[in-house]
Amino acid sequence: MPDVLGFYDAPDDVAEAVKRLRGRGFTDLETYTPAPFAEVDDAVIERPSRVRWFTLIGGLTGVVTGYAMTIWMANDWKIMLGGKPFSSIPPYTIIAFELTILFGGLMTLLGLLVFGRLPRTTIDAAYSARFSAEEFGVCVRCRERDVVEVEALMRSHHAKEVILVGA
Amino acid sequence: MTPPPAQSVAAMIRPTPRPPDSKVNRDLLGVMTGASLGYWALLLVTGGFIALAGGIWIYQVYRGLGIAGYTHPVFWGAYIVTFVFWVGIAHAGTLISAILFLFRAKWRNAINRSAEAMTVFAVLTAAQFLGIHVGRIWKSYFILPYPNQRGLWVNFKSPLLWDTFAISTYATISIVFLYVGLIPDLAIARDRAVGWRKLLYSILSLGWQGTSSQWKSHNRSVLHLSGLATPLVLSVHSVVSWDFAVSIVPGWHATIFAPYFVAGAIFSGFAMVLTMMIPVRRIYGLEGYITAYHFENMARFLLVTSIIVAYAYCAEFFMSWYSGVESEQTAFYRRAFGPYWISTWTMILCNGVFPQLLWFKKLRTSVPFLFVLSVLINVGMWFERYVIIITGLSSEYNPATWGIYTPSWYELGIVAGSFAFFAHLFLIFLKIFPVVAIAEVKEIAIHQRSHGQAEGH
Repeated sequence: MPDVLGFYDAPDDVAEAVKRLRGRGFTDLETYTPAPFAEVDDAVIERPSRVRWFTLIGGLTGVVTGYAMTIWMANDWKIMLGGKPFSSIPPYTIIAFELTILFGGLMTLLGLLVFGRLPRTTIDAAYSARFSAEEFGVCVRCRERDVVEVEALMRSHHAKEVILVGA
Repeated sequence: MTPPPAQSVAAMIRPTPRPPDSKVNRDLLGVMTGASLGYWALLLVTGGFIALAGGIWIYQVYRGLGIAGYTHPVFWGAYIVTFVFWVGIAHAGTLISAILFLFRAKWRNAINRSAEAMTVFAVLTAAQFLGIHVGRIWKSYFILPYPNQRGLWVNFKSPLLWDTFAISTYATISIVFLYVGLIPDLAIARDRAVGWRKLLYSILSLGWQGTSSQWKSHNRSVLHLSGLATPLVLSVHSVVSWDFAVSIVPGWHATIFAPYFVAGAIFSGFAMVLTMMIPVRRIYGLEGYITAYHFENMARFLLVTSIIVAYAYCAEFFMSWYSGVESEQTAFYRRAFGPYWISTWTMILCNGVFPQLLWFKKLRTSVPFLFVLSVLINVGMWFERYVIIITGLSSEYNPATWGIYTPSWYELGIVAGSFAFFAHLFLIFLKIFPVVAIAEVKEIAIHQRSHGQAEGH
């Protein structure tokens, strides 16, 4: 199936074009933008990113690890200090806090890699260095007979150029 | 609109022409190319100082810590002073990147990358001082909780151990933060680089193409990292301050220490960003990206944090007098009028008095003035830590045990080497990574272009 690639200059046009294309049933599409634009990204993917679950799990793992490690170690080699409890929670909170941040941050990075599908060794055929300048791209995979319609839709939303990728 | 015939699409099948590069790319990637003679000279000079400091350090390992100026009762000297100083410097980057991100202060994007890089380099510089100060470097792993034959564990009630966790977490998270921010910019560089740079950027950019799923995850990650880094940055210098405040040394044992240290850290960090970025902006012609507006905002931060720091100085003196505790009163009297009075008054003038000039808009917007002031603040903040640590230790409770510490030339050599190390890493960073966050600058530029509205810089 051919890939139709449209070039744009403004994020609003891209967002509108994506909405129209998706409305017409062309859901197998990808956008390439030089910077994050919420209107474009939300038009392509409606649900919020699931990275937040990674952060949450990482943070919870961190806080549990922090308390578990300190309390276990204090009780593994007991040091009696004036009849006080072996584990003293207030100072351990600092360790638990730091590990919450550490694990949460590392899991966030992992979430970025998983949901951003990174790292990848190949670059899409539709990708071009124009998108890392200041242009926007919308790439739609459609049936041959729909190419004309897709092109018309793209142009009606101010695509300045529409090409077939690697056809 | 009537759709054009199918042939027109077919006719358009042709190789993509050479991309019309954007001005933002050219300007900001241009910093990375063509090192001048001055650049190489600076690299050589800083490298020389690093070699000198390295030599001194090897000699210190060979001879022992005796070559440092430690004398009874002062066994925390210039190394710890410099450690605290660099940890403080490391605070500006995360503040600018994380806290200002959460507050949606758009002006941060001209300086956030360089500030994040400085954060990483400052933490790396600071971390070395722990090893240097410990002396027996081959035993420094004792600080980690590792299983060992003796069945012993580290003491989690010790502030020094909190420090280990705080500093290593901070180093890790600031590297992650810097790297995540760099990925889209590395892809921009990848698309335009040749040779070894192409390979390097291809690997580091992880195949980034700016698709929606990538940006969406990226935005969310940056948001969460900011949310995590904000309490982290406040905790790190609080923990460093507890190294002192949790002890019972007069002049250290104060509840004001955590906020006082955090404010001071942000203050010194902003000063260091100004010290580094003013010459970089001038040399590489980045006046269009880092404008007087950015500098003025940073000057306001300097002013606010300077007031907090000055307030803390006053509060410390007031509380020591008001407490009625003789040892506290003596400690603070000696701080201002004792053997270290020069350090104390340098600190008060540089951190509390001179920055008040920033109340004048003319001076806030004067770049040469800001540069001079930022250097003075750096000096003042180093002396602040010197005053706290050295005066505290030199005159504790019993006058019979008072003593005077003077840093030895060996210590000063290593301290000088740390500045060179920081500058050296930053110089290398300038030539390998984009020093301004290109994608973020574009985001605002494109918004302004397509909406014709002025929303900050």
